[in-house]
Amino acid sequence: MSEMSREDLLDVVRRVHEERDPVPDDLVARMQAAAAFAASDLDAELLGLMELVDRSDELVGARGTATYTLRFVHGETDLLVRVAVEDGASRIDGWVVPPEAMTVRAGTFVASVTDTGRFELTGLPLGLHRLSLEPHDITRPAFSTPTFEI
Amino acid sequence: MAARRPAARVVTGASAPPDGLWADASRAFVRWLDGDPSGLDELVAVMTPVLWHVVRAYRLPQEAAEDVVQSTWLALVRRRTAIADPAAVGGWLTTTARRESWRVAKAGQHVAPAADEELAARLPAESSAETSAVEADSRHRIWSAVDALPERCQRLLRVVAFERRPDYQSLASDLDMPIGSIGPTRGRCLAKLRVALVQAGEI
Repeated sequence: MSEMSREDLLDVVRRVHEERDPVPDDLVARMQAAAAFAASDLDAELLGLMELVDRSDELVGARGTATYTLRFVHGETDLLVRVAVEDGASRIDGWVVPPEAMTVRAGTFVASVTDTGRFELTGLPLGLHRLSLEPHDITRPAFSTPTFEI
Repeated sequence: MAARRPAARVVTGASAPPDGLWADASRAFVRWLDGDPSGLDELVAVMTPVLWHVVRAYRLPQEAAEDVVQSTWLALVRRRTAIADPAAVGGWLTTTARRESWRVAKAGQHVAPAADEELAARLPAESSAETSAVEADSRHRIWSAVDALPERCQRLLRVVAFERRPDYQSLASDLDMPIGSIGPTRGRCLAKLRVALVQAGEI
């Protein structure tokens, strides 16, 4: 091989860097997660975001446990959420005021709001979550909480 | 070298070869804009490797480089509607990544740190099992030829090699070079590399 074109030389450069400074193994997966998360945030903003109006921590009990309550407001709807974590397992108890038939989602976790406005979600993995509330009255828009950490 | 060359490459010398990457990126981007979330996944999968190499051309440490790549993706998501021409999404991403790299590199003064030693240390491991000693030697000589280039050449060539068709205007400001000198500098850098490869016996 006596002649190397510009493209051949750039191929050499590309190969050298790919060989010795390869893309970190899980970088693509992490960037996909970050982008998807940002996109879901964006969708939520378009939906109507509840506002966090209050947060209170309850007394911390044994090691590895935590309990706190969050209060969100959107229009006429009040949402009180009590988050409890014990030994890595989480539990969310929610109250919707005034009570209204809705489906509540946190990622793939789903719950229904009862006549009295209550719902519960158990076993959510620790990390960032947001609850989306979808009124069964389809003339009402869905809305969601900002993300919060369990 | 000859053995590793893509066999069917047509050397036109005029323009970059048709590059499926940018077309894939545009299609994925359009799918996402149309409401298909898997379009975003694919766009990220296609373009993250390119962004990695463009960002690392600025010699940012691994963690800082990953942060820049992530900021670039977040910027894309937030500003998706500002990208008027979906066909240009690849260029938008690489330009955004370069600007951010340049900003971070200047702010933190991350100067050519341990990165090079780290890289050199990987050589023996990579050339152990499946490659013969002759191939390992050849690879080492090629690496040395690239390493021997002036830093400005290394950065410019790495960016150009991965971006394929960089926007000269933004490249000029990111590399701190007058726009008129990008083309000639690239030519000189490639000539230097060619000479180094000849001297190394690789051409």
